[in-house]
Amino acid sequence: MDLQRIDALITDEYAFFLRARNSWSLTAGPQDLELVAHALRVLLHARTTPDFLDDYTALVACQNTAGGWSPLSSDTDSTVWVSAFCGLMLIRANRFLHHDHLTRSVQQAIDYFLDTQHQDGRWVDPAWADLDTTSHPVSFFNVVMALGETHRQPEVQRAWEQGLRFIIDNQSPDGGWYDQEFHPSGVEITAHLIQDALVADLVIDRRVNGVRASCTKGAARLSEWQAQAGSWDDENIDHTMDCTRSLMLVTRILAESSHNDTIMRGLGWIMNNKNEHGWGDFPGMETNLERTCDGLDTMLKYKAYCHSEADAVIKLWGYLR
Amino acid sequence: MPSSEPAASTNHRWVEACTIDALPPGERKLIKIDDVEIALFNIDETVFAIKNRCPHSSGPLIRGYIDNAGGIKCPMHGWRFDLRTGESKRPAHATVYQVKIEGGDIYLAL
Repeated sequence: MDLQRIDALITDEYAFFLRARNSWSLTAGPQDLELVAHALRVLLHARTTPDFLDDYTALVACQNTAGGWSPLSSDTDSTVWVSAFCGLMLIRANRFLHHDHLTRSVQQAIDYFLDTQHQDGRWVDPAWADLDTTSHPVSFFNVVMALGETHRQPEVQRAWEQGLRFIIDNQSPDGGWYDQEFHPSGVEITAHLIQDALVADLVIDRRVNGVRASCTKGAARLSEWQAQAGSWDDENIDHTMDCTRSLMLVTRILAESSHNDTIMRGLGWIMNNKNEHGWGDFPGMETNLERTCDGLDTMLKYKAYCHSEADAVIKLWGYLR
Repeated sequence: MPSSEPAASTNHRWVEACTIDALPPGERKLIKIDDVEIALFNIDETVFAIKNRCPHSSGPLIRGYIDNAGGIKCPMHGWRFDLRTGESKRPAHATVYQVKIEGGDIYLAL
């Protein structure tokens, strides 16, 4: 893939993303925090986080007293999935911002996740499948450990390992993860689990047996699911972005090149199905900001995937300093 | 051809959506009325109308998966809604519209 074309696309889409700032920035008023977290991830990977300190401190300001966040910034009932995404963005941003409020906020988020884990290792959120939900606090704890945050460290390690084992124990023999309520096709959930929950252990400290085999099987399943033209899940742009990004990270960590053609087909399909500005949920649908953030993130990760430094793409998940 | 609900309450107005010829059995169609996207489905010659954007995270129900029990699952994260009532086991309710067929045209109660 021509990196000059990728660079031009990133420049153009980032400008479009900034023009839409009032639709994702908490400095403009209450927002959907899932969208906010997607936007803050773009800032992180575009390396512009220091220019947006107010956005990160505004996210701290809408943290609930229990340490979590609500799907809408103006609400007060915390839910796990969005809380993990917000906490993850804050701990990663604070590497560059070094702000006391963010440090305290991350520690409160750790408290929230330790308080809400179930006995069998899962976390529960009524809006998401339990496996998918569980992958997000596990991902947050991956980064907590990778970046050396020591707040309640022994409890974090214990909770993280229980969450990880819950995920590994629920992998299907064919390599995928399924949830009949939320993800019967298994595509999106499998892409999420291997990149967000599992593979980090191979980078951080290799504490849990079976992670490598689980990721290898999961990545192989993802490749098998890809349509000939490069998409996943009936031309679902969101899920195609998920799978493409997941394979970039997991195959880099596994040092496997056998999925490279799959990644390239996925990336090509995503680029071919872009609107004039941004992406929609399916080809031909109008642009929405969340998908546009995902698209920008995919392009930024692809650039890192092509970088001569092999670890560059791993850093974009926060698993390395 | 039957419609999913023949009568609209007095608070509603009937708005023409499209001709029935434009929505043959087994087909689906996305329309826009007053800037609201509405997904139409002709399932075994019964027409259903549901607000296109899933109340979970705005996934397009027009691309959803229809089951044999009269439900539709959002293609993004699998939330299922009853096409007749909009009810769901998830913490949300989809907006559905009453439908009538008259003179070869499909009307929705808005």
